Amino acid sequence: MASQRRRSLLTLIFICCAISSASSDQVRTSYGDSDQIRSLCISDRFIMESYFTTSHTSLDDSEFRNFLLLQQCSSEHDPTSIVPATSLIQHRNVTGEGSHRNLLTSIKLLPFYSESKLHELVILERLPLGVFADPFELQSLQQRRVFSDVSVFGDTNLELPSFRSNRSVVEIHVEVSPSDYENGEISLKLPLHARYQPLDDSGYSRVEFGEPDLFLCSSHEQRRCLVLSIGRSKTETRSVFWDIPAGIRGHTEYVSALTFAAAVLSAISILVASVLSSKVESCKNSKQS
Amino acid sequence: MSRGSENTDDEPPKWMSFRSLLVFSMFLRVFLIVYGEWQDAHMEVRYTDVDYIVFSDAASLMASGESPYKRTTYRYSPLLALLLTPHSFFHRSFGKFLFSASDLLVGWFIHTILKERKVPEKICTYSVMVWLFNPFTFTIGTRGNCEPLVCAMILWIIISLMQGKLAQAAFWYGLVVHFRVYPIIYALPIILVLDSQVFRSDQKPPLEDWNTGQTKTPTSNTEKKTILFNLLTALKSLFSRERIMFALISGGVFLACNAVSFYFYGHEFLHEALLYHLTRTDPRHNFSIYFYHIYLHYERQFSAVEKLISFLPQFTVQFALVSCFWQDLVFCIFLQTVAFVAFNKVITAQYFVWFYCLLPLILPWSRMKLKWEGLLCIILWIGAQTHWLLWGYMLEFKGLNVFLQLWAASLLFLAANTFVLVKIIQRHRFSPLFRRYESSSQKHVKKLH
Repeated sequence: MASQRRRSLLTLIFICCAISSASSDQVRTSYGDSDQIRSLCISDRFIMESYFTTSHTSLDDSEFRNFLLLQQCSSEHDPTSIVPATSLIQHRNVTGEGSHRNLLTSIKLLPFYSESKLHELVILERLPLGVFADPFELQSLQQRRVFSDVSVFGDTNLELPSFRSNRSVVEIHVEVSPSDYENGEISLKLPLHARYQPLDDSGYSRVEFGEPDLFLCSSHEQRRCLVLSIGRSKTETRSVFWDIPAGIRGHTEYVSALTFAAAVLSAISILVASVLSSKVESCKNSKQS
Repeated sequence: MSRGSENTDDEPPKWMSFRSLLVFSMFLRVFLIVYGEWQDAHMEVRYTDVDYIVFSDAASLMASGESPYKRTTYRYSPLLALLLTPHSFFHRSFGKFLFSASDLLVGWFIHTILKERKVPEKICTYSVMVWLFNPFTFTIGTRGNCEPLVCAMILWIIISLMQGKLAQAAFWYGLVVHFRVYPIIYALPIILVLDSQVFRSDQKPPLEDWNTGQTKTPTSNTEKKTILFNLLTALKSLFSRERIMFALISGGVFLACNAVSFYFYGHEFLHEALLYHLTRTDPRHNFSIYFYHIYLHYERQFSAVEKLISFLPQFTVQFALVSCFWQDLVFCIFLQTVAFVAFNKVITAQYFVWFYCLLPLILPWSRMKLKWEGLLCIILWIGAQTHWLLWGYMLEFKGLNVFLQLWAASLLFLAANTFVLVKIIQRHRFSPLFRRYESSSQKHVKKLH
């Protein structure tokens, strides 16, 4: 009992320090609108499982928050009403080159939470329009125990360009053990692929990543999830982006013209060669006509 | 595989006999399949083709009573998933063994066709090696791509025609068009070659073999006839018994397969397996010259007129090739396939197998020497591909905007294809597949004007 009180006190002190050093580059916290949503009670395996089936179409911040509001626990079931919702995203960037890159995120959990019975960290990556995650690739990562569970919801068409597709969201579940609290960081590497971008005169299209939404959940059937942070589509402090090559509108006319010219030229060459080489009389007639 | 008692210069050495080549090829493929399984399990880059995983998933879905089209990007006939259902109770590499076996079967068929046409053993063996030892060929089957099945069916159709078995040829033709839409381009030359002068019922049609024409006296084919005479001749025999029978049987088989598939899988089957291939315009980069044009216009749809105009070069080339070469059926369909792939809106490397399997069948009739014309063609064609792949690498793996350069590389690839095609046409010793029964009245079957 005494140790618990001591722990709560330490946590409060820690939080005060965190607030006071909020301008530091190392620490990122998400407050604001997430104050109102503290915890969720869901019956599905995945938080996003019912999102697209309950007449939600986009993954905008406002629509997403409305969805979460509906999943809120009623107050008597809420065990964590006095706990401040805080998490720390230490580091976030996109690594790699080309059309296939990785979104790296490292998250620090507060030691306070190790006392709770919530052992699963759930990360929701609401992906921007220009990129997608391959569900089959993620499944093989799950088989290799990189994540304990993972699923993609929304537009999972791998082939359409971005202006013909909708956003998707990746829900990742990671088991957290006491050692994760001690060691400090949980690192996530999410493989992503670029879609074909809308045309741009600069030759590149910038895709910006917001912050992920973080929850700490229980592992039972009726899951209780503590809302750690609800990210925003665009961050104020950190800029994580990916410049993807895009077609240049100015090329359109001469590319089309030269393409057809090349096709016609090749067709004529083959036609002439066939006619000249053929020994059949009817082909010689067609050359005259 | 009869061999002479003495090894003359025309006979290949004993170790190069067809049987030993086939056995060696078989072991090579088995080794590659086993290696492929090892690589998949231990390395990040998989040996197995992504398509194979798609087929396997679709086959598992079908085995558990569901639609194979629930698997995204499964765009084939349900027959393929059906063929692979043994995955569930055998090993997951069952399909690879099946495709590699088809690959070996293609080698066997090539040998059979060339022997039927009395090609000397040595040339026969070299031609078969062009297929069996082509690195592209043995990797494609062992990686789990289903194209060797299609190639085997096409060659079987040629063998059936050569043996006069029209119904058999028609059945397999209907089936292969259901399986993969592209063989529809062979319909016209096949129909034209089913001349009643050649195909007497219950008799094997006489084949023009390799030896005739070696002495270069093909003057009998060049009798001048008026356009009108040829036109009337063609129209008169256009609806011959053989042609109608072939059309009805193949059409019937095609429709029956589609009807059964539609019955089980509905609109999903129609859309994914048929319509997708007919209307496919993929803006993502591929060897085709049209990819950048399609990407630049993707935000707005193409009008019907634009689609028609873009189809004209393809149509013209196909029509010209059929008109000029239909009598030399194998050569005709080889040229048609190369041209079809080259002018298509989307070109992926697996399409090349469609004409790789026909290349050994025309080589014995080519006057092209490997040094240096043959080598030049090979180097130009492979060089143009490699050049494209380099720019593709820059775009996809380095993230640089090189769309224009990649598109220029695809134009170069079309130029290389055209050059090789023209050279092959110029060096080919024209040799009709079938010999006509009567030599007196030389009737030319008129092409359709």
